[in-house]
Amino acid sequence: MNSRNVRAWTRYAIAAALVIVVLSPALWLVLMSLRPNTDIMATTLAFRPTLHNYAEAWTGEFPASFGHSLSASLASTVVSLLVGVPAAYVLARWRFRGQHQVAMWILVTRMAPPIAFTIPFFLAYTWLGLMDTVAGLALIYVTFNLALVVWTMKGFFDAVPRSLEEAAWIDGASLWGAFARVALPLAAPGLAATGILCFILSWNDFFFALILTRTEAMTAPVAIVNFMQYAGFEWGKIAAGGVSVMLPVLLFTVLVRRYLVSGLTAGGVKE
Amino acid sequence: MASETGLDRAAVRKTGVRGVAGRAGRGRWAREQRRALRWGLAPALSVLALATLAPAVWLIITSLTPLTPTDPGSLDFSEPWQNYQQAFSSPEFVRSVWVQVELSSVTVVLQLLIGLGIALLLDKPSKLLETIRTVFLVPMVLPPIVVAIIWKIIYTPAISPLHRLGAFLGVPFHSLITNADTAIWAIAAADTWEWFPFTMLMTLAALQMVPKEPQEAARIDGAGAVQLFWHVRLPYIRGTLVVAGLFRLIDSIKAFPLIYLLTDGGPGGATQVTNYYAFVQTFNFAYWGYGSAIAMLLVAGVFVLSLLISRAGGGMALDE
Repeated sequence: MNSRNVRAWTRYAIAAALVIVVLSPALWLVLMSLRPNTDIMATTLAFRPTLHNYAEAWTGEFPASFGHSLSASLASTVVSLLVGVPAAYVLARWRFRGQHQVAMWILVTRMAPPIAFTIPFFLAYTWLGLMDTVAGLALIYVTFNLALVVWTMKGFFDAVPRSLEEAAWIDGASLWGAFARVALPLAAPGLAATGILCFILSWNDFFFALILTRTEAMTAPVAIVNFMQYAGFEWGKIAAGGVSVMLPVLLFTVLVRRYLVSGLTAGGVKE
Repeated sequence: MASETGLDRAAVRKTGVRGVAGRAGRGRWAREQRRALRWGLAPALSVLALATLAPAVWLIITSLTPLTPTDPGSLDFSEPWQNYQQAFSSPEFVRSVWVQVELSSVTVVLQLLIGLGIALLLDKPSKLLETIRTVFLVPMVLPPIVVAIIWKIIYTPAISPLHRLGAFLGVPFHSLITNADTAIWAIAAADTWEWFPFTMLMTLAALQMVPKEPQEAARIDGAGAVQLFWHVRLPYIRGTLVVAGLFRLIDSIKAFPLIYLLTDGGPGGATQVTNYYAFVQTFNFAYWGYGSAIAMLLVAGVFVLSLLISRAGGGMALDE
């Protein structure tokens, strides 16, 4: 009994120590963002926190870039859900020839290096006038979000018993009527989680925004990097920008932590 | 993550839509059902085709030309293989592949070991440990550019808490990212920090599916913790470890923000992985055709690894 207690407490102690080690790099960024500019180079923990850096960061083009990030991520999430959810339902309910190939196609889409998309998209966007637009950005985010939606939602629909939809059919509902009234409400938590995952993935993007936007549709991650290049190295401002960009993601993560792995491994693991 | 869906899946496999249709009356109704299903799939497949197949075809085409945006005549197919030949005879490209192999293998191995270690530590039913599990997810969900900023701060001697700590402990050191010998390790450390939660989460999920009976039996037979892990639990989670490793391997090929912000591929190409090489050739030097060829080679590599995942993932499902 006693030795078991000791072992349990050792486990907790190691885990707690690891938490501090793992979190400290991120916490340092937060501390730095709150430091007064006069001792930004200091490493003491005793300082009077100030929001001065945030006020600095939230001027100029940064608020607008935050808005671009928000619109591109939201638009891409909505489109991916609208197009992807019915497809996921079909894949969950219908066996057909070529299903395996469709699955593989979706998996490769998720895996392909972004640079492979960027080169053709850059040329096409220049030609179509979608360069440096939020719509163009939202569209390229659909390439990875759609794969995610189809795969995770298929998993959720698989878990909805078919007998309920069959009952609705017998009552005269059409296939999509039964889908909308029975299957979709039952898969609603999954739908919310999938939507949030899409949003996080789009929000976190740096590469596509770096290449496909300039000024008009620049997203927040690119704007922070611009703090580095043009304004010299104003570390306080950079840190405040970084914290601003990571906060929404942290909030959302708490909501979807249970689905994180199945979302990120979408298509590669048969559940 | 799989337990509840297993039964349903089996049922779905057996009946399928045709089976249900048969029960409710064959013929017209079943045909209508199938047409409705097709309409559900069509938009997604068309968007996917437009957004992935079209670019893929275009990438293949440009990879066969010396395309550069300023010269309209450069879409020229007279020497279709020149980009590929040039790549394989370019020391810079060959080096980038080796840098990639080095970085990927180091990070995947570290992430698997650390992820597994922490998963074993946290694999006990406890509210506190569950909270800690969630906290460990932070590095993985942070926007990658924020991760890059965090490590840029840690590796910049003037403001780095790490350098201060080194000086305080009497072991001062020079910047790790401007030294060709240490830069790749600095990137590897940051990447490991960012992605160990992924292997940890997958391993935890697998550990929770290991059946209890064999563990109890082994314990009664007097197996110690190490033996229990090696002979009972490890065989059950091996498939998951392989899949998690493959996922990380593929994603490590795409790593961009860390290298972009910390080293810009330097010093002297020491951290220029193939993906970064393709980026520099295309967007800094405007060698679009050549960059496309490198991107094609990356896609080919990723495709082979995806096939492996699909195999291993299937094997894992069977094991369960």
